[in-house]
Amino acid sequence: MHKPSCTYVGYAGKYLRVDLGSGTITEHELTNSLAEQFIGGVGIAARILYDAILPGIDPLGDDNKLMFFTGPLEGTMIPTASRIGLYGKSPLTNSFFYSSAGGYFGPELKFAGYDGILIEGVASHPVYLFIDNNIVELRDASHLWGMDTNQVQHAIADELGSEEVRIAAIGPAGERLVRFACVISGCRALGRGGLGAVMGSKKLKAVAVRGSGGVSIPDMRRMRALLDDLFARFSAHPATSEILPRYGTPVLVHANNELGLFGYRNWQDEYFPQAEGLSGETMRKKIVKRDKSCFACPARCSKFSIVGKGMTEGCTVEGPEYEDIFSLGSMCGHNDIEVVAAAERLCDDIGIDAIEAGVAIAFAMECYERGLLSLSETDGLEVRFGRADLIVPLIKKIGLREGRLGNLLAEGVKRAADRIGKGADRFAMQNKGLTFPGHSARGLPGFALGYATGPRGASHHDGRPTGERTGLVKRATIEGKAEYTARINHLMVLLDALILCHLPEGIWGPLDVSELLVRCINTTTGMNMTLQQATTAAERIWNVMRAFAVREGYRREHDRLPPRFMEEPIPSGPSKGMVITRQMLDAMLDDYYTFRGWDVKTGIPTRQKLLELGLEDIAEDMGKY
Amino acid sequence: MNITLKTFATIRDVVGAATLSIELPTGARLSDLFAHLTHTYGKNFDRQVRDQLTGAYVPFLILVNTTPYRSTHDIETPLHDGDVVTIMVPFDGG
Ligand code: SF4
Repeated sequence: MHKPSCTYVGYAGKYLRVDLGSGTITEHELTNSLAEQFIGGVGIAARILYDAILPGIDPLGDDNKLMFFTGPLEGTMIPTASRIGLYGKSPLTNSFFYSSAGGYFGPELKFAGYDGILIEGVASHPVYLFIDNNIVELRDASHLWGMDTNQVQHAIADELGSEEVRIAAIGPAGERLVRFACVISGCRALGRGGLGAVMGSKKLKAVAVRGSGGVSIPDMRRMRALLDDLFARFSAHPATSEILPRYGTPVLVHANNELGLFGYRNWQDEYFPQAEGLSGETMRKKIVKRDKSCFACPARCSKFSIVGKGMTEGCTVEGPEYEDIFSLGSMCGHNDIEVVAAAERLCDDIGIDAIEAGVAIAFAMECYERGLLSLSETDGLEVRFGRADLIVPLIKKIGLREGRLGNLLAEGVKRAADRIGKGADRFAMQNKGLTFPGHSARGLPGFALGYATGPRGASHHDGRPTGERTGLVKRATIEGKAEYTARINHLMVLLDALILCHLPEGIWGPLDVSELLVRCINTTTGMNMTLQQATTAAERIWNVMRAFAVREGYRREHDRLPPRFMEEPIPSGPSKGMVITRQMLDAMLDDYYTFRGWDVKTGIPTRQKLLELGLEDIAEDMGKY
Repeated sequence: MNITLKTFATIRDVVGAATLSIELPTGARLSDLFAHLTHTYGKNFDRQVRDQLTGAYVPFLILVNTTPYRSTHDIETPLHDGDVVTIMVPFDGG
C-alpha cells in the first residue's frame, strides 16, 4: 500500500499541478518536512514558488506561476478557518504576492481532496478548471470570456448543474490585464496585487470545485475541547460577539476618524469632518439588510446591502467593507455611502481591487487639481475631489481599460505616475507599487514600519494598526517599534499559513504568535509543535518572502514611505502634527533589520540567519547579491 | 460634577444616544464612569467593553477631551467637571 509523504492529519496531503499549455494535470504530495517547516497557505506556497518562479520573469508572461492553497485548518470547525489563498508574482509589485479570501472555496477544495493547486503555462484558448473530487479537467471557457464575475459564476454553476460548486473567477479586468485585477469567489475578493491579471494572462477564466469528502482529525475529543474553548472566546469578546456582527469592518470609520487616522483626499489630510455619512452606523441604518458569515465563523461580519437611491438604485452588494469606504469614499473626498456600495459592487463584478481602484481615482483627482493631468488626458472629465458622480463611471473605465484615463490608471498609481512625470510620483500613495489602504502611517509609527518593510508593499496585513490604535502599546513613539512590528509580522504570516482570518486578532494574538494558535495546529494535525517552533516557522516564511523580493531587486532603499508621509505633518484633526520623518523611519529600519538578523546596509537576510532557519539553498542564493 | 459622554457603534446602541450628559461624584475616575454605565445599562454595556471570560477590559482608547487614555492601563485616570469623554470603539481588528 502507498504510504503518503505527509502523515500529518488535517492536510489532504496532495496538491494539483495543472499545466495549461500542455493540458497535463498531475497530483503531487506534500511532505512532512514541508508541513512542519512551512505549515500551509502562504508558507508552503512561498517555498514552492521560490523554486518554481525564476527571478526577473514577466509576471504577465508564460513563466509566471499561480497557486491556490489552503491551510491545515480549512474545513474544520475552527472559527474563521474558511479561507483560500492565492499566490504568485504580482504584476503590480513585481515580487511574491499573496491574497486571501473567506467564503467557502477553501474548505470545498479540501473536501475535494486537495490542499491546493499550482497552475503554470498559458492555455491556447480560454479555459476553466473543474475539480469534482478526483475528476479534474480543463474545460473550454470561450463562451464565458467577457462575462463579469457574477455572471460567470452563475453560468458555470448552471453548466455543471450544481448549486454546490464553489467558483473563483476573473472578470473583464483580469482578461484585460488590469494590473490590480482580482479574483472573486462568491462575493469575496482575492483582492490585492493583481493576481487576477495573472489568471487572465494564462487565459484561465475560473476554477470550479466540488468536494464531498471531509477533513480527518487525530483526536475528536481533543478537538471538541478546543472548539468549545474557541467558541466561548468568540462569544465573550466584544469584537467578535457584538461589534463585527452588528457593524462589520465599517465600524472603523469612526474608530479611525475620531483619532485623526482616516485617509482623506489622497491622504492630504487624515480627518474627514463629514465622515458620519460613511460610518458603519449610517451604513447599517441606510442600506444593510442582513448579516452574513464565512464558513465556520460565528462573527457574521459581512453585510448584505441594497442601494436605495440614485443611478445605482436597487444595486445589491455584499459589503461595502471599511477599506472600500476609505478608498472609494473618503479618499475621493465624498461621503455618499450609497455611491461607495454601488462602486464596490462594480469593482467585484468587473474584477478589480477596490482599494487600488479608489486610491488610483484619488491620485487622478489630485493630479488633475494640481494641473498634472489635462482635460484631454482625463477624456474630458473634470476629475476633482468630491465628484461622487464620477466614481462608478471611472471604475468602469479602469476595469475595461477605456480611454486614456482608464488605461493610465489600470497600470496602478506607481506606473501611472511614472508616465505622467512632472513630479506626479509625489502624489502616488504607494510602496513597492501597492497603494496604502485606510490606516494611517503618519499617526502609527510601528505600523508605518510595517508598511515600509512589507514584502507585499503597503499592505495592512503585514504590520497591523491595531496595537497602536487601541492603546495596547504606546502610540506616539518609535521606541521598541522594530521588535513590535517583527513579532506582528510573525503572527500575521502564521495566520496566513493556517489560513485564519485576521479580524479576530485580539483572540489569536494580538501582538505575537500565541499558544492558542499552536494548540490549533497540534490538535488539527497531530504535530507536537512548540511555541518556539511555530514562531520560527513564521520567521522562516518571512525570510523566504524577503529573499524572493531581494532576487527581484528590492533592498533597504525600497522600504520607504511616500514623501507626503515623511515630509508633510498631518495638517488637521486629532493627530495634527504627526509625521514619520526619514530619520525616524531610518532609525526604525536599523532596529528592524538588526532584530531580524538582516544586513543593516542592504536589508538582505544574512547567511547566518538563513542557515539558522534551515534555508541553506536560499543562503547560497543570497550570497550572489 | 458633570461630564459629557460621546459614543459610537454598539455602545451608542446600548446607551441610546451619541452624546449623553452624566452626573458623577466629585473626584470620580474613568473606572467610576464605567461602573456607572454598567450599573445603569447592565450586562449589555459590560459586554461591549470587557472580555466576558476574563472580566478584563479589552484594549481600546478613551479620549478625555483630546487626550487618549488606555482601557488596559489608565482606567484610574481622574475626571473633572466639564470633561468630554469619548469611548473609542473596542474593536481590535481592521
Ligand atoms: S470575521 Fe468576517 S471575514 Fe473573518 S471569517 Fe468571520 S465572517 Fe469571514
